[in-house]
Amino acid sequence: MDFNLMVDVTPLLLKAAWVTIDVSARSLFFGFFVACGLVFMQSLRFAPVRWLARGYVSAIRGTPYFVQLLLVFYGGPSIGFRLDPLTCGVFVGAFNIGAYMSEAIRGSIESVDSGQAEASRSLGFGKAQTLISIVLPQAAPLMIRSLGVLAIVVVKNSSLISIISVVELTYQAQRLIGSTYKPLEIFTISALMYIVIVYAVMGIIELAYRRATRYTTL
Amino acid sequence: MEFDFTPVITYFPTLMKGLGVAIFVAIIVALMSVLGGLLVAVISVYINKVLSWPLRFFIWLFMTTPLLLQLYLLYFGIGEWVLIPAVVVGILGLGFHYMAYNADIFVATLKSVSDGQYEASRSLGFGHTATIFYILVPQAFIRSIPQIGNNMILMVKDTSVLSAIGVAELVYASQYAISVSFRPFEFFIVIAIMYYIINVFMELGQVWLERLTAYRR
Repeated sequence: MDFNLMVDVTPLLLKAAWVTIDVSARSLFFGFFVACGLVFMQSLRFAPVRWLARGYVSAIRGTPYFVQLLLVFYGGPSIGFRLDPLTCGVFVGAFNIGAYMSEAIRGSIESVDSGQAEASRSLGFGKAQTLISIVLPQAAPLMIRSLGVLAIVVVKNSSLISIISVVELTYQAQRLIGSTYKPLEIFTISALMYIVIVYAVMGIIELAYRRATRYTTL
Repeated sequence: MEFDFTPVITYFPTLMKGLGVAIFVAIIVALMSVLGGLLVAVISVYINKVLSWPLRFFIWLFMTTPLLLQLYLLYFGIGEWVLIPAVVVGILGLGFHYMAYNADIFVATLKSVSDGQYEASRSLGFGHTATIFYILVPQAFIRSIPQIGNNMILMVKDTSVLSAIGVAELVYASQYAISVSFRPFEFFIVIAIMYYIINVFMELGQVWLERLTAYRR
């Protein structure tokens, strides 16, 4: 192990790690809105809108994220849809994870016993109020857990945007390995950074989970 | 904005060759990751407590870092000593990655088989090793089919990442064809559909396998 090299490359990799965090956070943020939109579309009574949302989720989940990224980045310009690499990464990341998140949200809402919503409606709560103050608080723990898993998937997926030349952690690591020929040293540092990011995400999820279950006694 | 799918037809044999490589890689990786994952899980749960710590460490390491980074490590790391074809590196990288994920599932299901099974088997005269391989592993394996199936579906999609280290699979083949024909949108749409079809078949296969083994649970 060449420790001097490890010290030398750390600032470069830290800078790149920040890009990874930035892209992942933005993908998650916009992805959540995509997911809410999809869940809303699937709850409508007008069937074609439901089919559209289901078809979208199925298409996204059935094709590799990598191919979606290449399709939008290289194929987009030929239909007049031109994005710079970073925006493209966030865009595809958000629309990809949105499909997975919509399934997680829908699943956790459906896991709440339907009697809860019926009871609430019969007690005079409106539809929106039933959802917000009766169903969602009960769906929250499961939702936080399953969205948390997806948040980690987003962090790991963000490594793929190195292919469209966004200088994030994996891109920087690959470039440094190529120029120094010290794969193990560079891998150790960059893997450590990914592990720190993943554990930070897991910590946030744990806090949110505790907050969501603070009144439940099991 | 007009589409021209004639280059896709011209280069269809190239794409098919790429698809063949992708499926070949997927089959080898599936075998390697399921059998290897089972072996790792059995060793770390039943056989050797000392050996289980490094094994758990590797499971953890492979699960917390991205596949692409692991592929680069293997590709450049192995390349330092011996020159081996990219496809071998790709199979090893993807295989180890999903071996870790599968091992994690097998560890959980092996632990979920009740202790009574072990005790009953021992009292009927089976040895320790025989009990593990004839009684416990089959039950755990059947219980883990849904999750292993999900992993394998993810794995087939992840074969596309191997194009980054130069494995001549579907994405790589289409990138070659695009570099000649300048029709990225058409090619990527077509290979996305190919992946989707594979995915549909794998989901059907998973449902079939789950039904086939349902009575044993």
